[in-house]
Amino acid sequence: MIKKFCIFVSFALIAVLALISAGSVSAADKLIVGIWDTNQQAGLQEILNDWSAITGIDAEIQVTTWNEYWTVLEAGASGGTLPDVFWMHSNVSQKYMENGILLDLTDRIAASEVIDMENYYPDIVDLYTYDGKYYAMPKDIDTIALWYNKTMFDEAGIAYPDETWTWEKLAEVAKQLTKEDKSVYGYAINTSNNQDSYYNVIYSYGGAVISADKKTSMLADPKTIAGMEVIEGMLREGSVPDLQTISENGTQVLFESGKVAMITQGSWMVPAFRDNEYTTANADVAVLPSGPEARVSIYNGLGWAANANGKNPDEAWSLIEYLGTKEAQEKQAQLGVTMSAYIGTSDAWKNSVPGFNLEGHLNMLDETLVIRPYSRNTTVWETMIQQDLGPAWTGEKTMAEALKEIAEKMNGILAEERY
Amino acid sequence: MASIKKISLRRREEFFWGWLFILPTMVGLIVLNIIPIFQTIYQSFFKTGDFGRGNIFVGLSNYVRLINDKDVWQALANTLKYAVTEVVVSIAISLVLAVLLNKKIRFRAGYRTIFFLPMIAAPAAIAMVWRWLYNTEFGLLNNLFGTKINWISNPNFAIYSIAVIGIWSILGYNIVLFLAGLQEIPNDYYEASSIDGASGIRQFFNITLPLLSPTIFFVVVTRVIGALQVFDLIFMVVDITNPALTKTQSLVYLFYRYSFTQGNRGYGSTIVVLLLLVIMFVTIFQIIAQKKWVFYN
Repeated sequence: MIKKFCIFVSFALIAVLALISAGSVSAADKLIVGIWDTNQQAGLQEILNDWSAITGIDAEIQVTTWNEYWTVLEAGASGGTLPDVFWMHSNVSQKYMENGILLDLTDRIAASEVIDMENYYPDIVDLYTYDGKYYAMPKDIDTIALWYNKTMFDEAGIAYPDETWTWEKLAEVAKQLTKEDKSVYGYAINTSNNQDSYYNVIYSYGGAVISADKKTSMLADPKTIAGMEVIEGMLREGSVPDLQTISENGTQVLFESGKVAMITQGSWMVPAFRDNEYTTANADVAVLPSGPEARVSIYNGLGWAANANGKNPDEAWSLIEYLGTKEAQEKQAQLGVTMSAYIGTSDAWKNSVPGFNLEGHLNMLDETLVIRPYSRNTTVWETMIQQDLGPAWTGEKTMAEALKEIAEKMNGILAEERY
Repeated sequence: MASIKKISLRRREEFFWGWLFILPTMVGLIVLNIIPIFQTIYQSFFKTGDFGRGNIFVGLSNYVRLINDKDVWQALANTLKYAVTEVVVSIAISLVLAVLLNKKIRFRAGYRTIFFLPMIAAPAAIAMVWRWLYNTEFGLLNNLFGTKINWISNPNFAIYSIAVIGIWSILGYNIVLFLAGLQEIPNDYYEASSIDGASGIRQFFNITLPLLSPTIFFVVVTRVIGALQVFDLIFMVVDITNPALTKTQSLVYLFYRYSFTQGNRGYGSTIVVLLLLVIMFVTIFQIIAQKKWVFYN
């Protein structure tokens, strides 16, 4: 009996060993590329295929939604497996670089014949530079612009938004465009993405979110509050949907279904609006309104990073190098995926979607650009702000009250961040 | 002498095989449950460094923070509200349905299949479908009734809307267990009582309920534990900026947010330790209380 059992166990062990070795033998014939935006998947895959045609190595895109992306990446970085190549974002790049999670690209960039970091927007390069070393290849640059529903403007007999607009003007028109039965609202504030909505207002009023040394919150600054009170005004006038509606649907869905006449959105949304029948027929783009201090777009850019402990660093670099070439960045713009981080390729992007006047986004590049506020652990205070602004959206608290409380909490979080 | 030796040999063999058969379960339990429990308790005394490296021992400070954290106590209240609603309502409904499905009716197998179907659908998919049913602007429910109710974003009742999804998806599981329990009850009792003139309703309260109480007890205990760990429904249905979030998030949801979204595993572990204690007390209380109402024959 025991003997039989021993034989069984040894067979089982052999089988397990065979499986393990089969797993580790698999060579780098396919790279996994991690991103979070489905809208960009098709276009990027096309660019990856070009690289595959040159190198003979397949590259497969895996999309995870924004929220889960960071959870999965953090788990992978803490001891699991990361994708070979993946998107990096200013929210967390500092933390990832400091901890050696990202492959150091400095020497490879120096040795490369096709890559010169001078060719990319310097702010974007800075986001992924730590201690004088490069950890990611700039992928794109984005700006925020004002998207509006032409049909609704025509029906109301109001002139389309242009560069003369201020945020007050936007509030005024939003009120005019709001229908009495609330079937259409003038404007919608994206409560789950600060970059494309209220951050722009704050900075164009001369306010700020975080101090330059990233040690203190600026949300209780009088200028910040003044900017946010313009938004509060629209909320009280009822010219924007309430928080319940926004949180259940998001501004994108509301705009695409003709429930709001104007939204402010990032250039990364162009593929989504291009592929939607309603928006291609009715929507167009203008520059953001200006505030008393300036016309400001919060901007940001992603980076292509690789896993420092990956099995295929050379293949991963080869892909990143290709993605940084003028050719690939130009194609990204041409396909209308996003504006590219390579300076001078954006004209191709402007013409990528004939239906929209993308100059609205492009012209924002010449206005005051503020890099999306970040610190070492941006997510923590950003989520807190999103949640604690809730009572201000619903009217339980005044905007000034809410902001003062939030600023205090944020200071606590920032202090903890530095240990 | 010979016979004693034979017995002990047999015993030894039984001992060996007995342990061998429970070995897989034991290993699974120890590796996947018991060790992590102690690791979690251990971690709750640390401040987590980036990516789980360089943890700093902070003593009880996570627990001090926990005691002063309004969100945590609100989450505990939400979790209890959810658990009570889900368990009580789902057991009441499934008990009635199980009794009806135990009768000889047409399409009995068909009905049983239909009620069990939600069990085989993925919880995430269920939550997505319900999220759209509940949607204020475009949802089927509001369209049907011509209302504009914020089912899942009104802080006052969003947690109950979520509990409805939980009830709907757990009915089948309870029904199957109750059906098994019902089939254990000898038919003689019903025959005897109907000769004495007892109505169907009296039979249900005086025969079915007492004799089914061991099964009901089992379902209550396992479902309470399950319901206290609710996460996926809330995570899928309630968006981060939803005004009802603080009134709907459960303890496991908070644990997830701290441990995974914010990478603060120390505080996340502290929250889970609280949940562990709550579950332990609730379960011990139920085991003591069962003497009052569970009949084993």
